Amino acid sequence: MLSLPALCVGTLARRGVLGAASIRAAHGHSGHVATQEDMSVPHYYDRRSIPLPDVPYHKELGAEQKALKEKEKGSWKQLSNEEKVALYRLQFNQTFAEMNRPSNEWKTVLGGIFLFFGFTGLIVWWQRVYVFPPKPHTLTDEWKAQQVKRMLDMRMNPIQGFSAKWDYDKNEWKK
Amino acid sequence: MAHPLQLGFQDAMSPVMEELLHFHDHTLMIVFLISTLVLYIITLMMTTKLTYTNTMNAQEVEMIWTILPAIVLITIALPSLRVLYLMDEINNPHLTIKAMGHQWYWTYEYTDYENLEFDSYMIHTQDLPNGYFRLLEVDHRMVMPMESPIRILISAEDVLHSWAIPSLGVKTDAVPGRLNQTTFIITRPGMFYGQCSEICGANHSFMPIVVESVPLQYFENWSSLMLS
Repeated sequence: MLSLPALCVGTLARRGVLGAASIRAAHGHSGHVATQEDMSVPHYYDRRSIPLPDVPYHKELGAEQKALKEKEKGSWKQLSNEEKVALYRLQFNQTFAEMNRPSNEWKTVLGGIFLFFGFTGLIVWWQRVYVFPPKPHTLTDEWKAQQVKRMLDMRMNPIQGFSAKWDYDKNEWKK
Repeated sequence: MAHPLQLGFQDAMSPVMEELLHFHDHTLMIVFLISTLVLYIITLMMTTKLTYTNTMNAQEVEMIWTILPAIVLITIALPSLRVLYLMDEINNPHLTIKAMGHQWYWTYEYTDYENLEFDSYMIHTQDLPNGYFRLLEVDHRMVMPMESPIRILISAEDVLHSWAIPSLGVKTDAVPGRLNQTTFIITRPGMFYGQCSEICGANHSFMPIVVESVPLQYFENWSSLMLS
């Protein structure tokens, strides 16, 4: 037969108060269940992209607050500034300014990026010293000069490229 | 060949390459325009004070950004097809040369009149004469007459290779057991360098191609010299 805790949980589940937590509690995991939101009913949220939430922030109102809500039904010119702010705070949790406030996260992000740049730089330096073989002899300035002369002599890319930038009459690079 | 830190294409040494350069300019301009537009829209989106971003009706803009890209694509496709068909036009080549790819050198056969065949190996860095180009020079260059339509038949003896010369706008795969044909006209005298363009083993980067384009007289002198 069903155990007593399971029966109690069953009635509660029927009332729609508990959700999945009820099933887990009935199976003896009650110590490990955190409070869960019931996602099947409308929620309040502070979201920049959807400015009007589905429900007001304060659902249950005290007597004073109920009176204020009644006053709100009349002309808004009768409301003082404090009353308007109070009504706002009843409806919403944070203002747009509070919601969109800047943080200091960018400093951490930028710092992390630069740290990795530096670390990579160290690795590259170590590679150049300990890993790379000696450069080929064709990369010496002397060889490169002879190469440039050969490229100009054979009129390499003479239209818009390399040799087009050399002035053959004056024997110098074009200004 | 390319000069150090070169970003763009090498100058065109054949009419087809000229057409390719112009097509590339046209397409790159379109690409730059689109990229600039997108970047501008991104900066607009990142710096707006407007916050409501739920999906809204957008029929008109959806029409625009469907039709306009279609038009852009047609604008790119028409010149592209034109150049493509230009490359395949029937011409009557004055000369036919066979280029055979091996691991890891090329063999050129000029067999129209006599039987001229030779191998073309890369010159190693330690053996380079002063001022020569590392990994680009060969011991026997492929000499061709300028301003003549030339047909090259390309194949391979062992694995896939590819015969490519950027300044002539030529890249043709060398497939063993298959003859691929490419034709071009070289408009200027000079030396044009290329490298094997299909991975073919350990020395794939070390089997370059050098075309030396000379007036017909010099070509005839060279071929008689090579035969003897």
